[in-house]
Amino acid sequence: MRHSKRTEILEAKPVNLDGFVEEWPEVGMVAMDSPYDPEPGIRVEQGTVVEMDGKPRAEFDFIDQFIADHAIDADIAPEAMAHSAEHIAHLLIDATVSRRAVLGVVRGLTPAKLLAVVKTMNVVEMMMALQKMRARRTPSNQAHSTSARDNPVQIAADAAEAALRGFRELETTLGVVRYAPLAAIALQVGAQAARPGVLTQCALEEATELELGMRGITGYAETISVYGTEPVFCDGDDTPWSKAFLASAYASRGIKMRFTSGTGSEVQMGNAEGKSMLYLEIRCILVTKGAGVQGLQNGSISCIGVPGAVPAGIRAVLAENLIASTVDLECASGNDQSFSHSDMRRTARLLPQLLPGTDFVCSGYSGVPNYDNMFAGSNLDPEDYDDWNTIQRDLQVDGALRHVPEERILAARAHAARALQAVFAHLELPPVTDKEIEAVTYAHGSQELPLRDVLEDLKAAQSVLDRGITGLDIVKGLEAGGFTEVAESLLTVLRQRISGDLLHTSAILTPEMETLSAVNDANDYAGPGTGYRPSGQRWEEMKRLRHVVSASNPEEEVS
Amino acid sequence: MAELDPALDYPLAARRPELLRTPTGKRIEDITMQAVLDGEVGPEDLRIAPETLRLQAEIADGSGRRQLGENFARAAELTRVPDQTVLEIYNALRPWASTKQRLLEIAEQLDREYTAPGCAELVREAAEVYERRDILAG
Repeated sequence: MRHSKRTEILEAKPVNLDGFVEEWPEVGMVAMDSPYDPEPGIRVEQGTVVEMDGKPRAEFDFIDQFIADHAIDADIAPEAMAHSAEHIAHLLIDATVSRRAVLGVVRGLTPAKLLAVVKTMNVVEMMMALQKMRARRTPSNQAHSTSARDNPVQIAADAAEAALRGFRELETTLGVVRYAPLAAIALQVGAQAARPGVLTQCALEEATELELGMRGITGYAETISVYGTEPVFCDGDDTPWSKAFLASAYASRGIKMRFTSGTGSEVQMGNAEGKSMLYLEIRCILVTKGAGVQGLQNGSISCIGVPGAVPAGIRAVLAENLIASTVDLECASGNDQSFSHSDMRRTARLLPQLLPGTDFVCSGYSGVPNYDNMFAGSNLDPEDYDDWNTIQRDLQVDGALRHVPEERILAARAHAARALQAVFAHLELPPVTDKEIEAVTYAHGSQELPLRDVLEDLKAAQSVLDRGITGLDIVKGLEAGGFTEVAESLLTVLRQRISGDLLHTSAILTPEMETLSAVNDANDYAGPGTGYRPSGQRWEEMKRLRHVVSASNPEEEVS
Repeated sequence: MAELDPALDYPLAARRPELLRTPTGKRIEDITMQAVLDGEVGPEDLRIAPETLRLQAEIADGSGRRQLGENFARAAELTRVPDQTVLEIYNALRPWASTKQRLLEIAEQLDREYTAPGCAELVREAAEVYERRDILAG
């Protein structure tokens, strides 16, 4: 058939490169409304949950049992469950009902009931609720710093730039896993070189990630995955009990950690048991709660293509962030893995977290170009920094970033690379050359960098483990190289472990090295005129963009 | 033990530093750059002490976070367990990794050797559930 000119134009739009699929509830290809999702219900006998969401205790799978015994407050559950889903949704959006009052009800709800509650809400209501229910008053943000060549010099420079731009957490991972110790050192050095108190992590297999944490090479951990069906949890080689034990192991070394989950992972791993993606994700959220972990990275994360392909999928992704916050967990709210070819669509996917604010709006804004992103890309890239800053300024919404003049960025990138040069020299790791430092200062990505000797780097990475190098050795290397301030920053970050203040819900360190968490910076939103609103010095900072002209002299740029 | 008020006493490093010690008995203010350079600070000084985790558990309870407090209480017990043993127990708790007998032995070891009753309880609970759900080894 003959196509119209308009159809040809629409066919060529990036959104039509995205994948869309019909719902198929039998395999779990449904966002939040499957006919096979259970009906809410609870029966408690002598303080024990004996029936939950229509299933008797004898038939509980291990997730049901963990939730029933550890997440749900059995004493108040019958009363809490007696409220209608609509009533609880009203509590969530009613600004005159305090966050604390909502928590008092929610701790008695089952997975199916939490699902029923959010099913009554549209996305605007969910955003209103999220604004009140996020744990920390001040929003924050997290970036990825990775390299297609696992180049530590690049990881350090991009970590420095990201830190300077405002991110308070940085995450790296690897193409070649054996590079991990060098990447983790580079991330840590780069972050502290630009702005003190940024927390860093390296996403690895659970046991290795813990080891780098114990050595003080990384500052926190996040890639502790939980799943919503028993077969998929077992495929991940874990159970709620192994993960709960791991959570205590991290805390026992004073290391902050959060779990990770997301809608779509069970479908992607082929065992959703016909349940909706959101119902299964709610089970993950409650496993996290029951394990006593302070927070969760969710919002589909690496499975975003799955909910993104079905009707109301992005509504479900917002709902999972909302429920994590509503059960009083820190929420690092996704907006990480690449999701759409359409700039309009990826912005629309971002706004539900950016506008209400979350503990970490992105749990991985890519600080490196897409081809260097070893987390399979992100919804936000370095090419979007100016757009992000402009959206913050247009809407007066704090996405935790800021415009930084180029000379400061170049100085920070070079400073970070030189600091890494000093640390590598001190630790007798393969040298970082002046040529590499010059290149990385002005580079966008790894393609503009000299190649490193990968074999020597990998040998050195192994030697970091074999020699038992710790965070203290990095501190000494920085000090020996004359990077006293960077050394002080890193030592201060390491010293946090002694107090354990960062173990609390939604904790971050400010650049002034003050701990900010849901304990001392609790979200106090109670309607218009209350809660966090960018003002004062922060708002002045947000007004600056790459090009802003003087009102009195339009020829003159003021930024 | 001190009665802690989250609103007044948190963060402990800033508000109640006198309550904090490293497992080696040092104060936070002893962990200076000079001390690091003089070789007076080792990795064992950058660990959290069980007493501190119990204080943080109080803060968690006082903030209405029961499960977080329980996690900190288990963590306080695990401060006594060497890194390698912690990793071994974690691996033993993976699905199909252990017999029931092995898990009960671990629980016994946690109880007897490390005085870690909260962790032992978690492992015993796992042994029961793993048996019912058929994810024990063998």
